[in-house]
Amino acid sequence: MAGGGGGGESGEPEFQIAPMIDVLLVLLIFFMSITSAEVLKVDKNIKLPVSPSAKKRDPEVSKHEMAVNVRWDEKAGKGFVNVDDREFPDLNELVPYFQEKRKKDPKIRAVIRGDKALPAIEIQRVMNTVGEGGIADISFAASNK
Amino acid sequence: MSSRRHKRKQSSEVNLGFQIAPMIDVVFVIMLYFMVMAGAVQVENAHNTKLPGTVQVENSDTPMPDEIAIRIEDDGQVYLNDDPLDTPEIKTLPELANNLNQLRESSEASKSEVLVTIYANEQAKYERVVDVLDALSRAKIANVTFQAGAPE
Repeated sequence: MAGGGGGGESGEPEFQIAPMIDVLLVLLIFFMSITSAEVLKVDKNIKLPVSPSAKKRDPEVSKHEMAVNVRWDEKAGKGFVNVDDREFPDLNELVPYFQEKRKKDPKIRAVIRGDKALPAIEIQRVMNTVGEGGIADISFAASNK
Repeated sequence: MSSRRHKRKQSSEVNLGFQIAPMIDVVFVIMLYFMVMAGAVQVENAHNTKLPGTVQVENSDTPMPDEIAIRIEDDGQVYLNDDPLDTPEIKTLPELANNLNQLRESSEASKSEVLVTIYANEQAKYERVVDVLDALSRAKIANVTFQAGAPE
């Protein structure tokens, strides 16, 4: 530190502000980039089950992903399906919606984001609907911690 | 107000340039925020599978896969081919993962594939289904199908 730049003839080392700003900005951009990508996907109404061995998503595959959110309402004792910010109270309405999605993107993958408190039957129903919609590739979303 | 500001300008006279110190303050605060957020972030992972009936069979000569049934009861008890394994309280299912691993190794030795079918009871928790999927991926078994209701 003592032999650093600046200071000039007086011999006093001077604090250089410009390189410090450079470093700070690089750090800032680094932390911004690693957080923003993950924060967006988390839907606070759904508590995902924890699964440490689940695979990381491949960025190539995630382009074709469509989230199927299944929220569990404890009071109503019912699961609510939400796809692309649209609530589907009747699962039959989802079948043509999925079919159309598949027409647009044949490689589409349905990511089932189910609440951990959901009974298995609700997930089975959603899986049936996804199958009826012609989508064969499915994933079960899980949180890492 | 305006006369006061005028006075001030006159007193300090110069230095209307870019202030670096407050900028560093702000950048520091933003950076700290993102640093803290980075530690708490939850990464969303996924268990990939295919729906039953859509898996392509390469040729008809391949031997029939060894079928393994995993049943999940309403209380969370897991059965592997009717043998109860672990207790409903154990989330990591070590016994199940060990057994599955052995099964996979033995079928690899006999050059057949393992096919696991999960029979989850209607009221079994989805969390438990994911626990089983987690144990399956630890045992490196990718052939998983689902079945509604209990096996006959």
